Amino acid sequence: MNAEIDTRIVRGACPHDCPDTCAFEYHVKGGKLVEVTGDKNHPMTQGRLCVKLKDFAGHHYNPDRILTPLKRVGPKGSRQFEPISWTEALDTIRDRWNAIIAEYGAQAIMPHAYLGHQGTLNGLTAGDAFFNRLGSTVAEKTYCESGSSTAWVMTVGPSGGLDIESFVHAKYIIVWGMNMTSTNIHGWPFIVKAQEAGAKVVVIDPVQTRTAKAADWHVQIRPGTDGALALGMMNVIIAEDLVDHDYVEKYTLGYEELKERAALYSPERVYEITGIPAADIITLAREYATTPPAAIREGVAIERSRGGGQAIRAITCLPALIGAWRHVGGGAMEMPIWEFPTNFDRICRPDWIRPGTRVINELDLGAALTGELPLDPPIKSLFVYNSNPMSQAPAQAKIARGLEREDLFTVVSELFITDTAKYADIILPSAMQGEQLDIMVTWGHLYISLNQPAISPPPDCVPNVEMFRRLAKVMGFNDDYWDRSDWEMLQDFYDWDSPALQGITLETLKETGWARINVGLPHERAPHAEGNFKTPSGKCEFKSSVTENFVVPVWRSMYEGMQPGEPIDPLPDYVPGYESRETNPELAKRYPLSIVSPKAHAFLNSQYANEKPKQKRQGEQTVFMHPHDAAARRIETGAMVRVFNDRGHFDGRAEIVDALMPGLVMANLGHWPSFTSSGTAVNSISSDAHCGMGMAGSYSDNLVEVAHVAA
Amino acid sequence: MTHVVTKNCQACRFTDCVTVCPVACFHGDDERLYIDPEVCVDCSACIPACPVGAIKDEFDLSDDEEQWIRINAARAPILPVVRAKQPPLPTAEARRSELGLN
Repeated sequence: MNAEIDTRIVRGACPHDCPDTCAFEYHVKGGKLVEVTGDKNHPMTQGRLCVKLKDFAGHHYNPDRILTPLKRVGPKGSRQFEPISWTEALDTIRDRWNAIIAEYGAQAIMPHAYLGHQGTLNGLTAGDAFFNRLGSTVAEKTYCESGSSTAWVMTVGPSGGLDIESFVHAKYIIVWGMNMTSTNIHGWPFIVKAQEAGAKVVVIDPVQTRTAKAADWHVQIRPGTDGALALGMMNVIIAEDLVDHDYVEKYTLGYEELKERAALYSPERVYEITGIPAADIITLAREYATTPPAAIREGVAIERSRGGGQAIRAITCLPALIGAWRHVGGGAMEMPIWEFPTNFDRICRPDWIRPGTRVINELDLGAALTGELPLDPPIKSLFVYNSNPMSQAPAQAKIARGLEREDLFTVVSELFITDTAKYADIILPSAMQGEQLDIMVTWGHLYISLNQPAISPPPDCVPNVEMFRRLAKVMGFNDDYWDRSDWEMLQDFYDWDSPALQGITLETLKETGWARINVGLPHERAPHAEGNFKTPSGKCEFKSSVTENFVVPVWRSMYEGMQPGEPIDPLPDYVPGYESRETNPELAKRYPLSIVSPKAHAFLNSQYANEKPKQKRQGEQTVFMHPHDAAARRIETGAMVRVFNDRGHFDGRAEIVDALMPGLVMANLGHWPSFTSSGTAVNSISSDAHCGMGMAGSYSDNLVEVAHVAA
Repeated sequence: MTHVVTKNCQACRFTDCVTVCPVACFHGDDERLYIDPEVCVDCSACIPACPVGAIKDEFDLSDDEEQWIRINAARAPILPVVRAKQPPLPTAEARRSELGLN
């Protein structure tokens, strides 16, 4: 065979939980995936991928990949498995589940999934219809974004907001709580372009990240105090009458109440809370309000403290207050998935959820498995896919104790034997992105993209969508939901007749790979120039019509029942953290340092953290400390240190850097516990307390102490 | 963490790399370009953009290329950022032929 003739390009898209959702070109030679490159014509991808996607072709051939179903043959967690057939795996699952259902009811089974894959067929919601049909507990998936979703929707409705590409038209840009050069690298060039054209770029972050260094101004803020800063900016904007009164009157709700609230946050008081000098707060407010178009990129990090939701509320009120939405390039961006006409009800089938079905939040996994949450029936089986709670969920030690339970029947669908999969009774082998069909969900741009299979998966590896077909069949579900091909499901899962998809079909996507949805072009899009907010009032709700906490249904299998429901303040406010010197002085005496755990540059959450080239690039688990804190503990760069609190500990190599504020420690998320010297990672110290909105995790709201590891 | 501009940029300075860099990490003098290791994000977009294969991942360097890590780190911060493509040096095409890369 002539190898040249056999080389072909297949169009695809990146599977990862990242706002960029790059357009791929798979290079296939002799049936083998030899290279994956970025599409040069895609306005966001622009021909480049990222450090995480280096050698993505080789990733498919990693010798550690799980290639057959496995059953456990040693103690739980011992990594002793034997290959079995799909038939044996499915029959075992069916028999165990039927026995559990007979004794405890189907709610004793709990799924656990997140965005280990970001596809419409194989991603966040891949198993929702199956588990709703089974009658299992509904798992609330609030690892990330849910707090922001709740706050954003309360304020401006499910709006796509500002397009990242429109940032080139902005003259004042605030990147708030996001290290874009690590986690939104394909969005960053639009900001660089604006900067080159004279825009001022401000980064608000507790850490002087690479992104902060590239900004014109880095505003260093104490973690969890963003709400106070936003209210302080409002205080100045209102006091100096920099308000767009016409916009406020026509298109907002609750200005007088907001004004009263903001009056409580003088720059002096906000300095005390945030650590930002009052003069800087005044300058930031003035510049933001008087340099149109003014754009805000809201990062997910803001939500990760007790008051994170209220902080997002406050920040999302700012553009309406100054009329920033009037301008192309003005407004705020959080996550634009709401612009895509996805039929989530058809995907998830909430009509199959039996009335009164309970909800368990995934971040409560440890509490749910160990009896800390009083549950009737208890969880007797856990089905994990697209997620690795032993790395990514808080309260790691508690989860490990739960997963060690002999009576818990655990099934994990995976690519590799992760620190979660090692506890499984049955492991099911998953397909990789180059091997499956899907439409990729994106939360950072306005292009729909089709990932087409470039190669066949290894014989026993199947896409999640096929795994749930097989499970449905073995469980005896005769619904035609599972009779459809992947292609037919994609036809049904989007509203192809909607204006956003005019001129776009699955067939055209097969040719083009991707298409911009019809929601306005970057140089003319101004979705809220004349209000049109998708809130109950149709206005930007400074004072919300919503008064009870809720999780946006897409994060909970589209289930509307059993919402958390506790009252929430309808006005944005600063809510201090659970763990700080102010709110918990006793705890702060023992554990005086705050910690943040941002995503690693070379890993995608915990993905790739098992691969040598990425480990080499990222380095070992490192504990970053401020020189003052290090000196007080006689710690020098290179020392092995232990980070600990009452919940647990992890060890890492100390690195002393000026980039942090005093009192703050940083350790990147994603290192697999089994590869660290302590056998634990950063989430061993994380609390499973939920933030005030959307049941988000409080990963940035934890106190710790750091000491030398005893020799 | 960084990529580095190695020997082949000398006498060429094609500057195609700067057009694909998402973080504007290229700096230059009259002879060649350098990457600022504090700014580079290791995305590798510049590697295929260079007509003479001058840019390499620091982990892919041969022993005698290792010196370029130090040279890039020392030179880049004191030179201006090169953001837009510039005309190659007059010797560029000859140098490319010499390298057998056209």
